Amino acid sequence: MGLLTGAVSFVRYKVEEDKLPENFWSFADDRIRAHSFRDIDDNYEEYSIGWVSILNMFESDLAPPSYAVGDYLVLSLRIDERKVAPVLLKKFCQKEEERIKKEKGRPRLSRTERLEIKERVHLMLLKKAMPLPAVFDMSWNLSEGTVLFFSNNQKAREKFEEFFKKTFELTVSLQIPFLTAGHLLDPAEAEILDQLSPCILI
Amino acid sequence: MPDLVDLLEQKRFLGQEFLTWLWYKSEERGGTVYLPSEGDVVLIFERHMLLEYGEGEGSESLICRGLYTELQEARTGLLMGKKIEQARIRLGRGNFEWHLTLRATMLDISGMRLPKSFSPAEDAGEEGGSEARILDRIGMVEEAVRTINELFRLFLKIRVDALWDTDELPKIRSWTRKAGLSSA
Repeated sequence: MGLLTGAVSFVRYKVEEDKLPENFWSFADDRIRAHSFRDIDDNYEEYSIGWVSILNMFESDLAPPSYAVGDYLVLSLRIDERKVAPVLLKKFCQKEEERIKKEKGRPRLSRTERLEIKERVHLMLLKKAMPLPAVFDMSWNLSEGTVLFFSNNQKAREKFEEFFKKTFELTVSLQIPFLTAGHLLDPAEAEILDQLSPCILI
Repeated sequence: MPDLVDLLEQKRFLGQEFLTWLWYKSEERGGTVYLPSEGDVVLIFERHMLLEYGEGEGSESLICRGLYTELQEARTGLLMGKKIEQARIRLGRGNFEWHLTLRATMLDISGMRLPKSFSPAEDAGEEGGSEARILDRIGMVEEAVRTINELFRLFLKIRVDALWDTDELPKIRSWTRKAGLSSA
């Protein structure tokens, strides 16, 4: 459901600040480079988030030609995460508990011991898990101050809002109908709209 | 101003009333809506609709599907006071046509099929081919967004006007009753 292939799904944002930072493309270049995606395939990190090229999720050495498209800034947000399935964690915890009980000749383990086993097993499984990638496209219309984020997933949206702010030091606000209406009506009409309550359509 | 979650809940009716008004408006003129700034826009409700009734834990949902059923269950649902939460829409402007699902709560869009205006094969290998493809796709998405915004603006202008209560609302109610009864 990304921007470039097949059917698209998206939510709309407005950039709250009216003015872009001065020397915007130079500013953006610095910020995007500082927040580009770092691969975690070859280490044991649990989570990585950053910008990649919209054309290639493996391209994170980003230069302006890859994201400056006309009057738009176009990027993909890549999130890689190692996950341990709860059923796997449970199985290996039980296995380890049984091993230790036999080793120590005890019928049961204390709560502290079981917690310690859980942490250790979780880490062991995490190291074996490959990071799962997720990629979400975004296009920022610089002249209109609007952003399209190509996913309807709430968690992805929240991560995007936070990471956009961290990267560009600008806030995006989700354009729900009431906020969109504020931009489409004149101030007097918007005031009436603010007082409206639902009507019965039957 | 209340935070976003409160606003979403308090003003949820705006998107739902907009979708119902759009359906009424499109049927009033046989599948088109007249936009003063653009002329006629093709707008047809098709295949899939989700209606809701009530709020929170007590809410009920009704999913209506069917290519040629004219969404009869949905019409009956409207008559029972259910509200449209999402609808599959065919939107046409000039030579271009979009198919999309519009959700009332956030006016977000899913499963939007874009018009075919560009052949990637033609530009494969040409310098600037990727840029042209990206701009073409963004242009098509934004064109649909602009059209939906214009339709929403048209609805809002009527909704805040005094004529809403005396003119538009009675017409919508009459359409709801007629549509609901004819499908019952």
